[in-house]
Amino acid sequence: MLSSMAAAGSVKAALQVAEVLEAIVSCCVGPEGRQVLCTKPTGEVLLSRNGGRLLEALHLEHPIARMIVDCVSSHLKKTGDGAKTFIIFLCHLLRGLHAITDREKDPLMCENIQTQGRHWKNCSRWKFISQALLTFQTQILDGIMDQYLSRHFLSIFSSAKERTLCRSSLELLLEAYFCGRVGRNNHKFISQLMCDYFFKCMTCKSGIGVFELVDDHFVELNVGVTGLPVSDSRIIAGLVLQKDFSVYRPADGDMRMVIVTETIQPLFSTSGSEFILNSEAQFQTSQFWIMEKTKAIMKHLHSQNVKLLISSVKQPDLVIYYAGVNGISVVECLSSEEVSLIRRIIGLSPFVPPQAFSQCEIPNTALVKFCKPLILRSKRYVHLGLISTCAFIPHSIVLCGPVQGLIEQHEDALHGALKMLRQLFKDLDLNYMTQTNDQNGTSSLFIYKNSGESYQAPDPGNGSIQRPYQDTVVENKDALEKTQTYLKVHSNLVIPDVELETYIPYSTPTLTPTDTFQTVETLTCLSLERNRLTDYYEPLLKNNSTAYSTRGNRIEISYENLQVTNITRKGSMLPVSCKLPNMGTSQSYLSSSMPAGCVLPVGGNFEILLHYYLLNYAKKCHQSEETMVSMIIANALLGIPKVLYKSKTGKYSFPHTYIRAVHALQTNQPLVSSQTGLESVMGKYQLLTSVLQCLTKILTIDMVITVKRHPQKVHNQDSEDEL
Amino acid sequence: MSRLEAKKPSLCKSEPLTTERVRTTLSVLKRIVTSCYGPSGRLKQLHNGFGGYVCTTSQSSALLSHLLVTHPILKILTTSIQNHVSSFSDCGLFTAILCCNLIENVQRLGLTPTTVIRLNKHLLSLCISYLKSETCGCRIPVDFSSTQILLCLVRSILTSKPACMLTRKETEHVSALILRAFLLTIPENAEGHIILGKSLIVPLKGQRVIDSTVLPGILIEMSEVQLMRLLPIKKSTALKVALFCTTLSGDISDTGEGTVVVSYGVSLENAVLDQLLNLGRQLISDHVDLVLCQKVIHPSLKQFLNMHRIIAIDRIGVTLMEPLTKMTGTQPIGSLGSICPNSYGSVKDVCTAKFGSKHFFHLIPNEATICSLLLCNRNDTAWDELKLTCQTALHVLQLTLKEPWALLGGGCTETHLAAYIRHKTHNDPESILKDDECTQTELQLIAEAFCSALESVVGSLEHDGGDILTDMKYGHLWSVQADSPCVANWPDLLSQCGCGLYNSQEELNWSFLRSTRHPFVPQSCLPHEAVGSASNLILDCLTAKLSGLQVAIETANLILDLSYVIEDKN
Repeated sequence: MLSSMAAAGSVKAALQVAEVLEAIVSCCVGPEGRQVLCTKPTGEVLLSRNGGRLLEALHLEHPIARMIVDCVSSHLKKTGDGAKTFIIFLCHLLRGLHAITDREKDPLMCENIQTQGRHWKNCSRWKFISQALLTFQTQILDGIMDQYLSRHFLSIFSSAKERTLCRSSLELLLEAYFCGRVGRNNHKFISQLMCDYFFKCMTCKSGIGVFELVDDHFVELNVGVTGLPVSDSRIIAGLVLQKDFSVYRPADGDMRMVIVTETIQPLFSTSGSEFILNSEAQFQTSQFWIMEKTKAIMKHLHSQNVKLLISSVKQPDLVIYYAGVNGISVVECLSSEEVSLIRRIIGLSPFVPPQAFSQCEIPNTALVKFCKPLILRSKRYVHLGLISTCAFIPHSIVLCGPVQGLIEQHEDALHGALKMLRQLFKDLDLNYMTQTNDQNGTSSLFIYKNSGESYQAPDPGNGSIQRPYQDTVVENKDALEKTQTYLKVHSNLVIPDVELETYIPYSTPTLTPTDTFQTVETLTCLSLERNRLTDYYEPLLKNNSTAYSTRGNRIEISYENLQVTNITRKGSMLPVSCKLPNMGTSQSYLSSSMPAGCVLPVGGNFEILLHYYLLNYAKKCHQSEETMVSMIIANALLGIPKVLYKSKTGKYSFPHTYIRAVHALQTNQPLVSSQTGLESVMGKYQLLTSVLQCLTKILTIDMVITVKRHPQKVHNQDSEDEL
Repeated sequence: MSRLEAKKPSLCKSEPLTTERVRTTLSVLKRIVTSCYGPSGRLKQLHNGFGGYVCTTSQSSALLSHLLVTHPILKILTTSIQNHVSSFSDCGLFTAILCCNLIENVQRLGLTPTTVIRLNKHLLSLCISYLKSETCGCRIPVDFSSTQILLCLVRSILTSKPACMLTRKETEHVSALILRAFLLTIPENAEGHIILGKSLIVPLKGQRVIDSTVLPGILIEMSEVQLMRLLPIKKSTALKVALFCTTLSGDISDTGEGTVVVSYGVSLENAVLDQLLNLGRQLISDHVDLVLCQKVIHPSLKQFLNMHRIIAIDRIGVTLMEPLTKMTGTQPIGSLGSICPNSYGSVKDVCTAKFGSKHFFHLIPNEATICSLLLCNRNDTAWDELKLTCQTALHVLQLTLKEPWALLGGGCTETHLAAYIRHKTHNDPESILKDDECTQTELQLIAEAFCSALESVVGSLEHDGGDILTDMKYGHLWSVQADSPCVANWPDLLSQCGCGLYNSQEELNWSFLRSTRHPFVPQSCLPHEAVGSASNLILDCLTAKLSGLQVAIETANLILDLSYVIEDKN
């Protein structure tokens, strides 16, 4: 019934897949990129230059391709940028790796690599490379960023302390972003629109919270209008709801509004109750009561100067009628997103019709500047002038375009830009390790068996310890992730990803801790650490060993050392050193941070810089593995500017630009970019780490098993199981 | 049981525009739209092979909505034109032809899309700024104090739709009606913000076009029997109207999510009917003369109201609700209980009317901003076409009210604009190429493609094998019949230019549109007296044409920029 087929998962297969994707993606990358037309199964057409969208639209079948696409979309979800670069970079990395394996077969290789090659053959060389990649990503990359690259960074803020945003640099940043995302005849206009929107919506003190709000509710904050030229797009002060008034009564002066989430008219019976009618008179009186009650509520609203009623449900005719009589405009059937947006802006909770009727003031009303119908291309919308109680000043974007597909593209790009800005305005913590006092020069092998916090589950019975422990975990989430990766690297054991995940975070049933008292000790360290964050911190635990045993797999990992790394606060350089007495080497952990708003000029500057410094680093490196990984990454990085400069000729061609840049770096001169525009360093950094993670994922696969089974049969089986 | 199915992989094609299939489909579409264009355009009959509705048309809105387009590139093109038409009503074919021409012309050049798109955009902004400028030589101000130019505008629209099958006399009649209907929607005492009323088009098929008419107020169609039952009202003052939006049929509406238990012997129907009759009594005591209901009125209530000499009309339908509210000044009543006195409205008078075989109940307003245009035509297809044309004309008049300018029609604007662009790119290329990396040669090539695309739009006005010329002074269009003898005496062969502004008695130089000419400066700034004297101009709506131009070029740019087509095969 089941037929299975297995294929060796190899770099070669992955490279083939990546090359196909690269061919598609590279045609729409950069300022010279072109559009791609996608059709949906419903027959709609969509224009896109968004790499993520394109990859998803392809509905790829190949398992490795699907995995790559998954990686890209999860990267996009976070950062909103870099899908196309992701593919190109990944493809170049794979090419680099593939070239090395080819070279390895060459008998005329130098001895060093040959021995290394034999070594790989013996113990699953790809896994070693993937480990080396991870080591690079977690320990070396941050250091290079901090020590070398950071001197080239520019800031988007005109003054770093107050973080005042410089309009011209934001314009440059957005223009460069939209260059790669929308059609080239519109990118200037759209980036100007975004810039205007940004400055109109933000108050001087508004922070990250505004990004969050706009990001969450972007769909509600823009209106698409087809049939008009793109240049008719504009920003409108206030909020535009994609609904018409059920009843509109013009009003001015002191206007208040209420939000309701249920029908105002009382009903005969509510859910779960029973209403017994004994006589006709009873029916009539109850109907009369309902009517009078509705009338009274609406009158009461009127007396409180309420001129606008916003409802998430359909209101009965009676309510609409009395609203109209009392001069109240009504907007019905709003989506829950629209209601939550309005509530977030004005901080208003829904109005509940009072049970016992009183003349007192209604608490849940808010002032409105204006509320009027807005006609866009003969369709009517509700235009609200809300008075914001948060840092966001409500503005809506009206996006025009000849076809819906184009409007969607612009909406998508604007949303992506918001995500990109949101990331840019965050600080980035860099944690890395340098080897100081390497007395034991000969032992170039990097021994680092033990790292990881003791996220060890205490005795299940010991509830009192467990609780504070978990609290700490939540706070040190980043550190936890790091531990996870450390473990992957250094455990020297083949543990698939999934297992690791269940294994690490305090999953009590699968773990049987042998030493519980240690945990308590670690705990105190952690809490201690929280109190004096800027102080030096010496790991207290030496030569303790904890043995975990996972029941299902019979895998034993022993920890000789336990140490706690912690997340440091922004801006503070905090070397945390950890002495490993066994090895005789001493490594120091450096933590630093990249301030929010770091940018670099566009046109492959980041890639060329990183390439240059990586090569320098590789020369200094002692370990061949590290050297090789650095070299591969450095060379793959150049692939991106190569694509960007593809159409340029003469002085602006890639080789010229590259030589100029390298020369400038060698002579310590400032880099001169031929293009205007800026890009976020944060975005590039995140892209790099995402690609490296994706690559390690690919490399750890040794076999792809195709299961030929119809999906609905799986469903059948499931339902049978349930029975 | 839900079925999970694996998604089929999509089909991905590169460089879609270069494939033969796309080229042929594009040229087929171009042939269809080109042959429809203009007053002598050919009609298209669209029908389904399985029978049913047959549509004879030459209008882009009808044509494109009936065509079934499958190729994604063509879909982009047709939807963008449909979207343009639904917002401006006019200039759909112009947009379609220009877009197709531009794509075809530019592709022949083989320049990179970046250059093409950039330069197209520059040329477009050049056109737009010229058409909006004071010195523009092809637009005239619209004077609302006389009907002349407005009539020209409406007449031009009617004559450009041959599928309406109107004679000259009928065209005059219908254009006068359309203008009257439009003028009736303008409120008399408008201060500041004008809110236009509405003209409702009432179908009357199978009658002569000459029988069409415009009436102020609203016509409600009724059967003769119903109409006989209504008693005539004799009243000197205005009639009081109550308009219900809720049902008066005695249904028990929403009772909530719980259950309602009715004891044996209790008749809710009677209870509700009692309530309705109470409502009737209130209406009587409020001296209401006319009760209108969107939904159904219970027969007992209806009879009760009739007994008290109140006219009750139900099943008005939701479409008439808004005009009725506007005209009578009522507020739609949603309550069966007490009615607020200020929710009643009024009409001046009511009467019955018979047009053709149809009977109507006619509500005559106090102040008219709502009117009914009774439109007649011989058969269904011609009527449909005429209705669309009337809607277009009414919309164009509204747009003209907002932006009181009109463009010279008959192809003169296009040739004039092409002459202007040629001159501008030839004599002043630096101002266009300010900050760009494009060369002058590239600009010349694209400008030539652009101008010839504009000119071939007007070239498609001619369907009978005639020739098209342009003069070297105004840059207007002149057409000459197919079997004209020789080139010797143009002034005798040509009588008037396309728009009718100039005649051939002036000392002009002509040349064929397709031949190459030296770029010349078309005369800008129209002489005022020339506009005043001409009564029979062909005019186009400025707003619609401007947007059409923009949409055509934006869409062409969009299509030229495509590098891949990914088709989802699910």
